[in-house]
Amino acid sequence: MSATSQVSPQSYNYDIVKMFTIMALVWGILGMFTGVYIASELTWPILNFDTPEITFGRLRPVHTTLVIFGFGGSALFATSYYVVQRTCQTRLWGELLPSYTFWGWQIAVASAAVSYMLGYTQAREYAEMVWPIDILIAVTWVAYLVIYVMTLRKRSQPHIYVANWFFIAFILATAILHIFNNMAMPVGLFSLSSYSLHAGVQDAMTQWWYGHNAVGFFLTAAFLGMMYYFVPKQAGRPVYSYRLSIIHFWALIFLYMWVGAHHLHWTALPDWTSTLAATFSILLLLPSWGGMINGIMTLSGAWERLRSDPVVRFLIVALAFYGMSTFEGPLMSLKSVNALSHYTDWTIGHVHSGALGWVAMVTFGSFYHLIPRLWETEFYSKRLINVHFYLAVVGIILYISALWVAGIGQGLMWRAFDSYGNLAYTFIETVEFLHLPYFMRTLGGAFFVTGIIVMGYNTYMTIRKSRLEKAEFEAKIAAKMASAQ
Amino acid sequence: MSTDSNSKVQGSKGSKQAVQTTGHAWDGDIQEFNNPLPTWWVWAFYATIVFAVIYWVLYPAWPIGRDYTKGVMNDIEYTDASGKTVTRHWNTRSLLDKEMVQAKAEQKKYLDQLAAASIEEIAKDDEKSNFAYSMAKVLFADNCAACHQPGGAGVVGSYPNLADDDWLWGGSFKDIKTTITNGRNGYMPSFKAALSSEKIDDVAEYVLSLSKHKTDAAKTARGKAIFNGQEGGCYYCHTKAGTGMVSMGSANLTDSIWTLADVPSADTLEAKKAAVKQVIMNGVNRKMPVWKERLTDTQIKILAFYVHQLGGGK
Repeated sequence: MSATSQVSPQSYNYDIVKMFTIMALVWGILGMFTGVYIASELTWPILNFDTPEITFGRLRPVHTTLVIFGFGGSALFATSYYVVQRTCQTRLWGELLPSYTFWGWQIAVASAAVSYMLGYTQAREYAEMVWPIDILIAVTWVAYLVIYVMTLRKRSQPHIYVANWFFIAFILATAILHIFNNMAMPVGLFSLSSYSLHAGVQDAMTQWWYGHNAVGFFLTAAFLGMMYYFVPKQAGRPVYSYRLSIIHFWALIFLYMWVGAHHLHWTALPDWTSTLAATFSILLLLPSWGGMINGIMTLSGAWERLRSDPVVRFLIVALAFYGMSTFEGPLMSLKSVNALSHYTDWTIGHVHSGALGWVAMVTFGSFYHLIPRLWETEFYSKRLINVHFYLAVVGIILYISALWVAGIGQGLMWRAFDSYGNLAYTFIETVEFLHLPYFMRTLGGAFFVTGIIVMGYNTYMTIRKSRLEKAEFEAKIAAKMASAQ
Repeated sequence: MSTDSNSKVQGSKGSKQAVQTTGHAWDGDIQEFNNPLPTWWVWAFYATIVFAVIYWVLYPAWPIGRDYTKGVMNDIEYTDASGKTVTRHWNTRSLLDKEMVQAKAEQKKYLDQLAAASIEEIAKDDEKSNFAYSMAKVLFADNCAACHQPGGAGVVGSYPNLADDDWLWGGSFKDIKTTITNGRNGYMPSFKAALSSEKIDDVAEYVLSLSKHKTDAAKTARGKAIFNGQEGGCYYCHTKAGTGMVSMGSANLTDSIWTLADVPSADTLEAKKAAVKQVIMNGVNRKMPVWKERLTDTQIKILAFYVHQLGGGK
């Protein structure tokens, strides 16, 4: 423990962290609610109401954008700005630029959601934003990179903490992915339409190179950065293995870039591309588990905390789901498994075991640690944190088991033949089969969104409590000052 | 790595050895042990590397210039559609070809039998009709169900019901096959301009009386005159008895089956009449597409057999 400058909390830029934290929760609630709504549309198509703006096709990118970029992105801005300041013991670089990243990001997310509902999209999955929004995102992201690098450069710690490696890798990779995937020529200066610079199979490759690395860097590397700060901090234990963190960091960074093509098995893609993607996905399994091992083993000296500390519970469940989905992913990337799973709801189930189980749970855990420290008070209700935990876990389990049934069932029905070599099921029969699993999935989603609403309420009450306490404290000081005079 | 001896802390559970931290501390209290990589993790990682290398040897994998490694001991051999034996290095396209050729060969024996047989013979032979049924189910779902619905019940107002024993264009095997092969144009002119609304009202009254509805006698009589006279000329197609003609595809108005005017679900006579009047005023222009360009003769035969047994084939 170096005796060098101890920076007092007042000198950290917490305002920017607070703003991103609140917006993460706002987008989280809106995005997850949209998710439940479109899940209901799949269960009961009448809910489309023949209204173009709220049909499944338009609301689906609204859901993915709000949860990935609104909720996930804001959570990453919040935690990375917090972590980089605390682990470098220095104030965030710049004053206006961090505020710019806040407004730039929020405007990008909001205008993306509105534009999809109005029917403007460039039809690239997870990158549906039309070109002006893409430019706004690119500029905001470069500002983020500058702030992060400059803050690291003025650190008063000799070493850069592991969480920051992951954050910086995520920021760099996301910039590259975003820019290359969205290279396009607008139809006109006043047109929102554009033509992609890529074409045919290369275009498909570029889209999934982006798509899977959005998972790899945005939803994995960055959240591992979050994990590497909040897990040891909350457990009060040292990180299990520095060596493991180096090895699995570089392995992840190197391997993720290769695997995007496993989303395009059994298509017009060359077979060798497919093979490389599948094998690199298998190679990715153990490096992914490296992060899980490091997290779980860090907690391993503090198992008793599981009984008393709901925050630790969120973190351990997040790590367990991280391990589960990084096992499932390589499995699904094998061509023979993919022949069954591709185009089925198994894929959606897999994504959600990662997105709800890992990304959202580790964010919730981190936020429950972060929020009382930002507002300098205790959480309003520990009971409600527990309620949130159980709602979330039940929700995830319902969700992913329903979609395992849906996806595997669907895949088996599509490929079933009768004794004459004719298809055993018509397409409509496979759709009818999905109704019940779709209902269970909707129910799971409803549990999960109820959980985050409870968290939103708990956070609101905590912030209110903090204000009251501060006012009370100031009144006391004022009274003392008055009586002293 | 570190010289800080104060940070000697007990390591992972079970290990009696003290593991050192790296000696750094961040944010006051975050430290790192320097535990070795778990042995099982290292060996499992090596195993995935071995797996990947074997995969690369067996399958097309690495690009070299404008070419790529093709994989060894994994050739695909099959007889293609023209009967030639083909050997290719492993690739997904040949896998599909092989599967398609094999599947078609398996079905060929049945299809050849069906091609040679008449629909009546198919219906009489258990094995033939079982195969025809198995194939038709999917053919019907893929080509017909979008309009006629999965069970063939149709949609009142748009698409005729195939599951009952009432047939606009005839319900024999031959008629059904002709309908599918060449399609049909169901046409009735609009009478909006030709007849006043009072007269259309009278005709509707008469039409309902044909199917034993209790109607106003005076109106019915006036409607009958229009129906069977030159003014309406309805009898040209629907005949004077109102039973319709298969050759015209004109509906039988004397039974209680309605494919356009939704008479059965209307409660009052007025509502039933309103439904009939809509049809008289707007006429009918519905088309069943031609299928002979999309389906083979045998497939149409199979479908005709299937549609025939859905409800009341004649």
